[in-house]
Amino acid sequence: MTDVQTTEVDPPWEGLTGAELHAACMQAAREGDRRAMDRLVAELTPLVWHVARANGLDRSVAEDVVQTVWLALFSQLGKLRDPKALAAWLITTTRREATHPFGRRMQPVPLSDEVAEAMPSTQPAPEDEAVRADRDRRVWRAFVRLPHRCQDLLRLTVLAGRAEYQLVAETLRMPRGSVGPTRGRCLDQMRDLLASEGGTR
Amino acid sequence: MNDLGAPGEAFSDEMILAGIGRFLDELDPPPDDLVQRVQFALALEDLDVEVARWERLDTLAGVRGGGTGTITFTVSDLTVMINLTKIGKLHRIDGWLVPAGQYGVEVRVAEHGTSSTTADEGGRFVLDNVPRGTTQILVHLGDVSCRRTVVTPTVVL
Repeated sequence: MTDVQTTEVDPPWEGLTGAELHAACMQAAREGDRRAMDRLVAELTPLVWHVARANGLDRSVAEDVVQTVWLALFSQLGKLRDPKALAAWLITTTRREATHPFGRRMQPVPLSDEVAEAMPSTQPAPEDEAVRADRDRRVWRAFVRLPHRCQDLLRLTVLAGRAEYQLVAETLRMPRGSVGPTRGRCLDQMRDLLASEGGTR
Repeated sequence: MNDLGAPGEAFSDEMILAGIGRFLDELDPPPDDLVQRVQFALALEDLDVEVARWERLDTLAGVRGGGTGTITFTVSDLTVMINLTKIGKLHRIDGWLVPAGQYGVEVRVAEHGTSSTTADEGGRFVLDNVPRGTTQILVHLGDVSCRRTVVTPTVVL
């Protein structure tokens, strides 16, 4: 089923990252290059996965949604003109799929204290690694106590940052200008939680 | 930015965001084989397809990897019901399309190729000796003038 490529030259997206990588892969995928599709899938499946999970889907439903989203993308690739819109499209479509009226809405995302506590206490590691792991656990405990909206915003900030797109505003349907201040308030709230948790170490 | 004022407790924005990033990666990573399964699901000759959605996840949850049970999936106006019977290392798949029609049905299993058949007038079809594994189902609807293909996400059966 995979067509053997005629030559083994480096694909045109070799060495590119972020938005440029996506644009080059989208272009090649439109021309029927299956390797470009595979590359996009490998690159952006974590984004789609985390958005699905953030919308309250359990792991097996999230797996289906991730596949549905990718199939939907490639079955209508021609319609998505602007490669820069890819990450936004993926996020929006995933959120829509996650709340599809087939009654798939599950319980709120199971990111609880227990989950954070269950995080394996990292393997033997250098001192600063252990310090970081300890700090991370504190961050996670604070994170799961944030209001859902803040969790959503910060999670998307992290994921969108990776995809190098300024799309948090679009996907959360917030006025662009209010993303920064809201994010600032969420981060301050995190710091309050971290402080109230005590354990100054 | 940091007005916390607790000495030694300066959690910068970057530190918090990086921590959340590791939270996502380490606590809830996508399944190892998910990328491969998506790539398998996409390895179709013609990607001009409609994507069906699995339904009734309570029953599906029991079917995944379990060998026997009923799965339903839907896309707009079509419902496909699949009943699995485990026979040794293989499956017998009994299916039913609603609305009924003599449509082509294909079952792709990763690393095992494709089995295909045509549903009868009542929309029923049977596929014997289907290998177990990462599975995707395709239904070819309509006639020459208006051909549609419905595909499912892959599921490990």
